[in-house]
Amino acid sequence: MFVLYNTGMITEQKLRILTEAAKFDVSCSSSGSDRRNEGGIGNAAANGCCHSFTPDGRCISLLKILLSNDCVFDCKYCRNRVSSDTPRATATPDEICELVIEFYKRNYIEGLFLSSSVFVSPDHTMEQLLLTAKKLRTEYNFHGYLHVKGIPRADPRLVHETALYADRMSYNIELPSERSLRLLAPQKSRESLLLPMKDLQLSKIAFKEEKRKGKFLPAGQTTQMIVGATPETDGTILRLSQSLYRVNGLKRVYYSSYVPVVHDPLLPEKAAGEVREHRLYQADWLLRFYGFSAEELVGEEGNLSLETDPKCAWALRNMQLFPVEVNRAPLEMLLRVPGIGARSAYKITEARRYTTLRFEDLKRMRVVLKRAKHFLTADGKFYGEKREQAVRSLLAEGKPEQLSLFSDRETVFSALTGEL
Amino acid sequence: MIYFYDGSETAFLTAFVLSYRDEQATLVSGNAQLSLGQETVFVRADETSAARARERLLRYDKDCMHDLSMLLRSGDPERDRAALGYFRLIAKKKCPVRGMFAEPAVIETDTCLRRIGTELEHLRGFVRFLVCESGALYAPISPDHDIADLLLPHFRARLPLFPFAIHDVRRKKAAVYDGKNSFVAPLDRAEVILSADEENWKELWKDYYRSVNIPSRERLKQMRGYMPVRYWKFMPEKSL
Ligand code: SF4
Repeated sequence: MFVLYNTGMITEQKLRILTEAAKFDVSCSSSGSDRRNEGGIGNAAANGCCHSFTPDGRCISLLKILLSNDCVFDCKYCRNRVSSDTPRATATPDEICELVIEFYKRNYIEGLFLSSSVFVSPDHTMEQLLLTAKKLRTEYNFHGYLHVKGIPRADPRLVHETALYADRMSYNIELPSERSLRLLAPQKSRESLLLPMKDLQLSKIAFKEEKRKGKFLPAGQTTQMIVGATPETDGTILRLSQSLYRVNGLKRVYYSSYVPVVHDPLLPEKAAGEVREHRLYQADWLLRFYGFSAEELVGEEGNLSLETDPKCAWALRNMQLFPVEVNRAPLEMLLRVPGIGARSAYKITEARRYTTLRFEDLKRMRVVLKRAKHFLTADGKFYGEKREQAVRSLLAEGKPEQLSLFSDRETVFSALTGEL
Repeated sequence: MIYFYDGSETAFLTAFVLSYRDEQATLVSGNAQLSLGQETVFVRADETSAARARERLLRYDKDCMHDLSMLLRSGDPERDRAALGYFRLIAKKKCPVRGMFAEPAVIETDTCLRRIGTELEHLRGFVRFLVCESGALYAPISPDHDIADLLLPHFRARLPLFPFAIHDVRRKKAAVYDGKNSFVAPLDRAEVILSADEENWKELWKDYYRSVNIPSRERLKQMRGYMPVRYWKFMPEKSL
């Protein structure tokens, strides 16, 4: 008997080239959508889901792959740039679709993150991305999560049509300033990245207002910045993020610390520190969920402290506001106490409805007091260190802890705030 | 006195009533080691007594039986103590006690329930289906808590076109969706015939797993924290 091999199966080598090239894209999360299964395969849950973790500690949620790495652009920092000597591959839309379906069925993945180098031309690339998205939804009947990268300088009509099939789209800001962009990514410009973002944002609003059938980017837009390849400060970066959240309605900004994959006199030889990336994520977190503003966290020309986490650093600069009384402080203030996270704040606000909380109670409630005790009173009693200097030295961290708490898992957060 | 019960809801409630006035009561279920020299009662499930207790507890907290059914799925050694303390507190306060985090029994119960929630969340991601020749899907699991059936709605909503079985090999039972209905059935060993290209897809997945890793940023501790080693056995990218 003959075994009929599925002709569409992508080859190992192609898969390797196209995923190797995509792996530095950090936006793994798959949350914020609510696509229901309509008689096919898959759905997109409102909370993302990690299906595996790689030895570098990152979550695998989506199949992250490029349609092609055969780029005609020449961004200096990128291994796929036209002038680089690297193995090239281009997949067909069907190869990608089949891979998604087979991985999804086995519960390896939550969906697809489809990106691409600019192959042939921006329009051609966008066309192929659109074709893949459309096939996946209509021919392969896939209702799982789909994130598609927007190609700068592509025809807005193609981008717009892609948005009818995708849960989320993203244009990467890449570098935090126009100047750096011009220097390192000559075919891109701030405008070629921000305009389509704006376009999609307006279309989404119009789509909602017209109450049209179907969906238009239910999980919104995200972006990514490379940190440490260029001289911009954390202050500049966080102000940019803040405006992307407030003005452009972005769902998330991802930070990717620069990893040198190519040598160029314009680029640093060394990888940017991961601690810095980590601090940026912490600060970003405070912007989005804890009611902080970028201005409170760091001056325009300044950088976040590498020794102290941004919440702690803020508290130390604002000692006049502390200590706060756990039995009375409003939730917003509890969240600003170093060491108290969403879960502890929730437990405190619940428990104090029934009884006046003392330090023993907090301990029993498994609220971590190591740092918080310097900023709190419980039933009027204070157990922390009085002199600011002592506090300062207490809090300086030898090495960054809690990396895990803030790494790239929106699920961690949503698990917490579901109850807030 | 030690009250030994079979882990069922009825038996728990019966034991709860029986032990109510006993300040020193310890509830034990499962195959816990019974220490000699302690007085032990084997509680036989009594529907009438359980029904009365259930009714009374529900009057104080209409959601508490849900807590109980979840607690009894827990594989944690503390769960019997937590459950006894929690329901005694409800009976004493005559109201829901869920938010009274200053009470040790509430914290303990909360911890048990959260662990179950965490495992559910983990397994939604870490379950690995094998595709059988017939097109059906089969996933062996070995969870800490008794939650195979709680995974059913999640996968049913995603894969309505595929019959599947999630097999708890430790408890020897399977949560099954036959394409129309879902149910739980005892299952000791499963014979599965895999589809011809199952190995190939598995290999592609392992390739993918290898190629997305960034070796220069190894953080094994973090990986193990997020994805505890006890789940690796059935994950092709982690098993040998
Ligand atoms: S557009 Fe720039 S960053 Fe993107 S693949 Fe091409 S060279 Fe690399």
